[in-house]
Amino acid sequence: MISNSSEPQETKKPYFTTFELILLAMFSALVVIAKIALRLPLRLSGHSGLFWMAIVIVAAGVVPKRGSVALVGLTSGLLAGFLGMGDFGALNTFLSYTMVGVGTELALWLLEFPEKLVPAALAAAIGHLTKFLVKWIFGMISGAPVGIVTLGLAWAMLSYVFWGALGGILGALTLKALRKAGFFAYLAEKR
Amino acid sequence: MDKKRIAIAVGVLVFIFGIVLGVDLLQRSQVADLPAGSVPIYIANKLIGGFTPNDLGQLDQVTFKDKEEGKTQEGWLLSDVLLLHIDPESLNADTEITVSSSSREKSATLTWDHVKDDKNMVLFDMSSRGTLKLVAKEGTLQAREKWVQDVDRIDIK
Repeated sequence: MISNSSEPQETKKPYFTTFELILLAMFSALVVIAKIALRLPLRLSGHSGLFWMAIVIVAAGVVPKRGSVALVGLTSGLLAGFLGMGDFGALNTFLSYTMVGVGTELALWLLEFPEKLVPAALAAAIGHLTKFLVKWIFGMISGAPVGIVTLGLAWAMLSYVFWGALGGILGALTLKALRKAGFFAYLAEKR
Repeated sequence: MDKKRIAIAVGVLVFIFGIVLGVDLLQRSQVADLPAGSVPIYIANKLIGGFTPNDLGQLDQVTFKDKEEGKTQEGWLLSDVLLLHIDPESLNADTEITVSSSSREKSATLTWDHVKDDKNMVLFDMSSRGTLKLVAKEGTLQAREKWVQDVDRIDIK
């Protein structure tokens, strides 16, 4: 092989463009803001998943690259941890937020289409349930007592799945609306 | 292919449900003395009963919004829980009630005078895991960092 040293060396393209990273950072901030500001007057476990998972699914559709949703989870986890959110300490908060991203990411590897209602609902439900799992595992590790209501855990899990799935559907509908409005064509130009 | 993937995803959800409920069932079968999930109540270190799942239906729930985050806290007043098991005559204004969590290594000690005052709203809110969390609208327990999560013991002195 003869190489011409006068030719400019091909620079390695970053996996995420700066524009994509900015978008993902904004989605991460939105997750935290939604958790703080958007409150439904409901006393149902995991109802915040409605907005949370909608934002995560929209992020998956807007930046359709592997790792994008996990990155949203990680960044929102760092933000929420430093803001002192949650009742169970910074580590619990950080891992809860991060695992929502990682769980949804893994589910989307399998289901692939965040714009379709059923895959979006299922991916969001799995992602949201991983948040519950983090809290549950933390409780197990710390030796927390079992719940006072026998079926409390089952109801809580069903609630997490329900709100997560609903959030996923909302996210998929938002993606469809964005596509209809020409947002993805605009994004393609920016990229 | 799509249906197969969806079936796998549903299977993952069912698997997680199975694991969590299975482990919970195992934990419940290992708890002795009181029904699983109950919070034992001690007077001078002597077990006199416990806040059991059966008590939940007998008590009214109350709500308030916490001052720090504006979240609704809903549950059963500590005073109502205690009066289900203890003769009110045996409680003086300065009787100390300590609610603790061994797993979190946290506790809160309050006087009966403070607990019985409805405006303080000292109550047990249920967490998503089904365990009890002691919160209050007024007094030291209005700060979230002072809340006692995963309560597993009540001591009265």
